[in-house]
Amino acid sequence: MIINGFGKTGQRKLKAAHVVVAGIGGLGSPASSYLATAGVGHLTIIDSQRAKLSNLNRQMLHWGPDVGRLKVESATEKLTTMNSNIKVDAIFEQITSENVNRLTKGVDVVVDGMDNYHTRYLLNEACVRNRVPFIHGAVEGLVGQLMTILPGGGPCLKCAIPKEPPKKPLFPVLGATPGVIGCLQAMEAIKLITGVGKPLVGRMLIFNGMDMTFDEIKVNQDPSCQVCGRQGR
Amino acid sequence: MAVTAKFFAGFREATEKKQASIEGVNDVTSLLDELVSRFGKKLAERLYSSDTRELRKTVNILVNGRRLDFLQGLNTPLKDGALVAIFPPVAGG
Repeated sequence: MIINGFGKTGQRKLKAAHVVVAGIGGLGSPASSYLATAGVGHLTIIDSQRAKLSNLNRQMLHWGPDVGRLKVESATEKLTTMNSNIKVDAIFEQITSENVNRLTKGVDVVVDGMDNYHTRYLLNEACVRNRVPFIHGAVEGLVGQLMTILPGGGPCLKCAIPKEPPKKPLFPVLGATPGVIGCLQAMEAIKLITGVGKPLVGRMLIFNGMDMTFDEIKVNQDPSCQVCGRQGR
Repeated sequence: MAVTAKFFAGFREATEKKQASIEGVNDVTSLLDELVSRFGKKLAERLYSSDTRELRKTVNILVNGRRLDFLQGLNTPLKDGALVAIFPPVAGG
């Protein structure tokens, strides 16, 4: 990679890295694709669903003939075709409080590709506990949000969003929205692995495709946070 | 004394503003009251449940980057220069 600051050393760091992509849907598809093509040596993709027709507008690792297949199977096939020099582990499991530690411990980065806060909070807590960077992303309509959680180095997801928003039966999403946020999640992961640039820590990025704006919200870590604050540990 | 309210996503659509400088408010409740009187029904509907008049669970407010429940909730005092971010967290993936 001839971009300033990356070079052979950066490429070797990527090759040696292990990234977990939790959820291989709208966010996980672009995030894992750009991690694979950047040369991240080891990807673990986790998902407990099968591809549905209604997923295809945004989950671009799953194509028409993949409807009904396990998403992790469909995605592994595409990712290893994009880059045959990487290892992809496919885990067909739902992330729970029982397995979250095993699934995330010891990896270099976890990318949030979930569609619910219950699991996001489990991942946030496990990543803080195991000191693994966690790259949060979420989307709806033409709006997306992004924040990098660097355990010990800034606020966690609970500091920014303390309570789960009410569940909705459907999330209408323009496919390009998770495309934008998933790509940015991959970029954050690559920056953390290579040590290049300044990660999105202590700031939540809000993308609004309606007026094509990117804004930042400052987020402070709080000592009272049950997850990352002094009282929580 | 002025505080700055910053609006994101749907709140920006409701106010048609990125931010507003508000004077004469001393806590979050009085700031929200003033914002509703300034921006009207569209903002009120996004902020409050129509039946209970309570703040909707889709509303997230940070005062100077800190969660309200780490402060004093809607009674959190606002000092001159305070920055209040109002946004609806999205959940899909």
